[in-house]
Amino acid sequence: MSAGWRTLLLRIGDRCPEYGGSADHKEHIETCYGVLCREYEHSKDAMFEFLLQCADQLPHKIPFFGVLIGLINLENEDFSKGIVDTTHANLQDALHNENRDRIRILLRFLCGLMCSKVVLPNSIIETFEALLSSAATILDEETGNPSWQPRADFYVYCILASLPWGGSELFEQVPDEFERVLVGIQSYISIRRHFDDIAFSVFETDEGNSPNKKDFIEDLWERIQVLSRNGWKVKSVPKPHLSFEAQLVAGVSHRFSPISCPPPTISQSSSEIVKGQEKHEADLKYPQRLRRLHIFPTNKAENMQPVDRFVVEECILDVLLFFNGCRKECAFYLVSLPVPFRYEYLMAETIFSQLLLLPNPPFRPIYYTLVIIDLCKALPGAFPSVVVGAVHALFDRISNMDMECRTRLILWFSHHLSNFQFIWPWQEWAYVKDLPKWAPQRVFVQEVLEREIRLSYFDKIKQSIEDAVELEELLPPKAGPNFRYHSDEGKESTDGHRLSKELVAMVRGRKTQGDIISWVDEKIIPVNGAKFALDVVSQTLLDIGSKSFTHLITVLERYGQIISKLCPNEEMQLLLMDEVSAYWKNSTQMIAIAIDRMMGYRLLSNLAIVKWVFSPANVDQFHVSDRPWEILRNAVSKTYNRIFDLRKEIQTLRKGLQAAKEASEKAARELEEAKSIIEIVDGQPVPSENPGKLRRLQARADKAKEGEVTTEESLEAKEALLARGLEESKELLRLLFKSFVEVLTERLPPISADGDVPNLRAGDPNVNSSARDPEATTMEIDNENGGDNDSQLNGQNKKISHNVGELEQWCLCTLGYLKSFSRQYATEIWSHIAMLDQEIFVGNIHPLIRKAAFSGLCRPTSEGSHL
Amino acid sequence: MASLFKDPTKLSAYRDRRFTGTQEEYEAALQASVTVYVGNMSFYTTEEQAYELFSRAGEIRKIIMGLDKNSKTPCGFCFILYYSREDAEDAVKYISGTMLDDRPIRVDFDWGFEEGRQWGRGRSGGQKELEAQRELVDYGGAFQPNAPPQYDRGDRKRGYGDSYRNDRDYQRKRYRNDERSSQRAPDSEFKRDANDSEKNPRFREKGDSDEEDDDYDKRRRR
Repeated sequence: MSAGWRTLLLRIGDRCPEYGGSADHKEHIETCYGVLCREYEHSKDAMFEFLLQCADQLPHKIPFFGVLIGLINLENEDFSKGIVDTTHANLQDALHNENRDRIRILLRFLCGLMCSKVVLPNSIIETFEALLSSAATILDEETGNPSWQPRADFYVYCILASLPWGGSELFEQVPDEFERVLVGIQSYISIRRHFDDIAFSVFETDEGNSPNKKDFIEDLWERIQVLSRNGWKVKSVPKPHLSFEAQLVAGVSHRFSPISCPPPTISQSSSEIVKGQEKHEADLKYPQRLRRLHIFPTNKAENMQPVDRFVVEECILDVLLFFNGCRKECAFYLVSLPVPFRYEYLMAETIFSQLLLLPNPPFRPIYYTLVIIDLCKALPGAFPSVVVGAVHALFDRISNMDMECRTRLILWFSHHLSNFQFIWPWQEWAYVKDLPKWAPQRVFVQEVLEREIRLSYFDKIKQSIEDAVELEELLPPKAGPNFRYHSDEGKESTDGHRLSKELVAMVRGRKTQGDIISWVDEKIIPVNGAKFALDVVSQTLLDIGSKSFTHLITVLERYGQIISKLCPNEEMQLLLMDEVSAYWKNSTQMIAIAIDRMMGYRLLSNLAIVKWVFSPANVDQFHVSDRPWEILRNAVSKTYNRIFDLRKEIQTLRKGLQAAKEASEKAARELEEAKSIIEIVDGQPVPSENPGKLRRLQARADKAKEGEVTTEESLEAKEALLARGLEESKELLRLLFKSFVEVLTERLPPISADGDVPNLRAGDPNVNSSARDPEATTMEIDNENGGDNDSQLNGQNKKISHNVGELEQWCLCTLGYLKSFSRQYATEIWSHIAMLDQEIFVGNIHPLIRKAAFSGLCRPTSEGSHL
Repeated sequence: MASLFKDPTKLSAYRDRRFTGTQEEYEAALQASVTVYVGNMSFYTTEEQAYELFSRAGEIRKIIMGLDKNSKTPCGFCFILYYSREDAEDAVKYISGTMLDDRPIRVDFDWGFEEGRQWGRGRSGGQKELEAQRELVDYGGAFQPNAPPQYDRGDRKRGYGDSYRNDRDYQRKRYRNDERSSQRAPDSEFKRDANDSEKNPRFREKGDSDEEDDDYDKRRRR
């Protein structure tokens, strides 16, 4: 027995045993259709569902499914009519639920059905026109709301994105109508606002605008225009219907009913703030799928038509989307897309641009780590060297990279190397040790080594760089605690040593927290003061908890109250963090973990952590280490995680409360009903139900009521917690921005007398050269031709010295993090923007600070200039 | 996730024998669990290494090292507890089958840690020169982190003490009678990786003891 029809459907188009290893698409379709026919009577309903599912989840095989449905259409019109109607209903749902992937894929599926004569070409035109007209309405100030341009752009993008699959047929069959659609798109593009994605670009330029001349719609439109000039011939889309044209032409095409798009969201107000919030909401709902990153010089990357690049990118993104969680299939489909050319470089660029996508990639960055590992294993001859090339190219441009992207790249790279025995040609980067300690290349190498050690251990990583011993200087110290009261027999015993020993003995003797607190109050504070007490107690407890993460949290759980008692205010909490950082001075990771856990047990407030991070000793580290930033990131994300969790819990509790209320009402009703049945016995009304049942019902009603009350109480408690959390988060944002502004204002070079904003990168030869010649950048986003003439420059850029001064680099780095925090927490910031405008972004604030914060929020800095 | 290739509701083909409920309850526990089980670790892998790797899938609440009952040192497995279900799912999806400390680890949903499940029966294995310089963390001694706390938890001020993400109710039942390891058999994906490591000498030379898992599997099937 050969493979079942389901397997054949799934595997169609793949070179696989189910199809005898053949790669002939015609043969695949014939085999599969044969089996479908044989099983049709038994399983047509199952086939119906399964075909729709396949088209949904294996969109790169839509041309094959289209032909199969077309062939079925020849014998069973009702089946394919059903497919068309269901697709209509699905598209309608997707439009109203704003399910972006579904809308896009269903339009492609419609094109596939049209190619196989299942759907009338005119219906496709009508669908396109409905989308276009909705897009145009959105842009209209009167009837629509231009803040929602992202939705309008998305509709147009969907039309354009389906054309590689159906443009050629539309052009042949309904040329005039098709031309009308294209003219409509052209006029849409002429009235829409250009999207300058400076906030989301992986690399910054010193001019402060995005290096892209075309945004994603303009870019795709240009690719489609080239395609149209080339007679709609697309190499990257299989055209299996051509082999079956003689048969398919006899099929009856069905009409696809008109669709309706959701009405535009009308603006609530004309205030700048509300418009900004609406635009932010729209950007979140309709994010850009890909921000193309040109990593490789064009002479290295595969040579293909502009539209083919787009099609392959779409297919890669779809595989990443639908095979998330299925490692084997994900790697298989990524390396075996049905295209007649190689695309390893393009694949690497696409995956890296997802990993570095701002504000957030569709999946956690660790997913792309896994995909890259799997591709290195699936294509051992080709992919590893492509990855090496990508790392080198990105490294060369690291000084212009967005701070968030730099962090992601460090995390990815260290993790990647940990999966490949930490083998890397480090000697090529050995020169960074001669760069100043704030040079981004040097910081990058140092942080990668730090993360490698965390994933492994010191000696191992030291060994891995033995070909580049110079880099040993960049290794962090070998981790180990630094206990101030280490008992050393030879040394003279101080008060601290003695007290610390006593405390250890009390812990060993399982004394209670209360006992120890009294001991501290009586024996240490009166003699040595509270600060000394905190010093001895925190050092000693940290030492007791130093063996592992679990030891630490056990100590904090058991003895945290002692610390809490000693740190009632921010001032003492700052000292506590100093103690932590002194004890763990050799382990950045343990400082971060200890502070994170102390925040978890509320021994430290998030505000205290922000203050500590912005204290002078840490501020001095901003440009040379990730250490303070990691702690800050943890504190802010923990605060918002907590709020997110509370929201989720409240949602669950609300549902629970509803159910509890219903249960309670029902029980009460049943009790009342039972009670109301009265019998007249001896002239007296007596309940006719037996007392046992009444008691049971009473108990049940009481219990249900109790359940309702308990749920209500916990809901109230959680809501109170959420209200407090939101209030705290407002304070957090206020302090965070205030701190950024303070440290930056102190250090930023002033604006010149004639109002010129200082150029912090002025000393960087890299930037100067690119400023002279705007085309001379190795990597440009969304600019296909930008990379053409810079392959030479790429070579020259290697091993540049770093000429940005320390202060300038500090400013660039801190501004970069300000932008990154603003972008990451844009939603939360927008909800408190009035407060921030009033208190932080006031008139005389340095323009570079405003620019960094606002570009993270995608907010215009001054009238007329939209970021 | 493509439901066409993988049934997302089918989380594990194996059943932990220590689970006392029904199969449905077991599956429900797996569906809702925020705990993952990590196997095939090096004995020398520390909690901090695991923390660094697993925190890339989400905020970690707790790590429980599997310990050799006699020596009180790690014996190649651990439990990681997350705060959210999604994070646990991501750990299973993205970390399972990748390397930690030069070993391909397996990550699987777990129905939830209970006191007593941390005890495995480790065996020391071959050591590489570099590895031999590393120290095994000793979890024994007077201060045992996994021992139940001494003080009355009630005396923490609740109003103030409702800590950030740390005060979830956490039910602990005690099953001290059963000393068998909670190590579970791999699902199909793990099996592939385990086979890889058997065929590929690269994995072996680094490892401490691969028989460990076979041993667990045998006992599980008994």
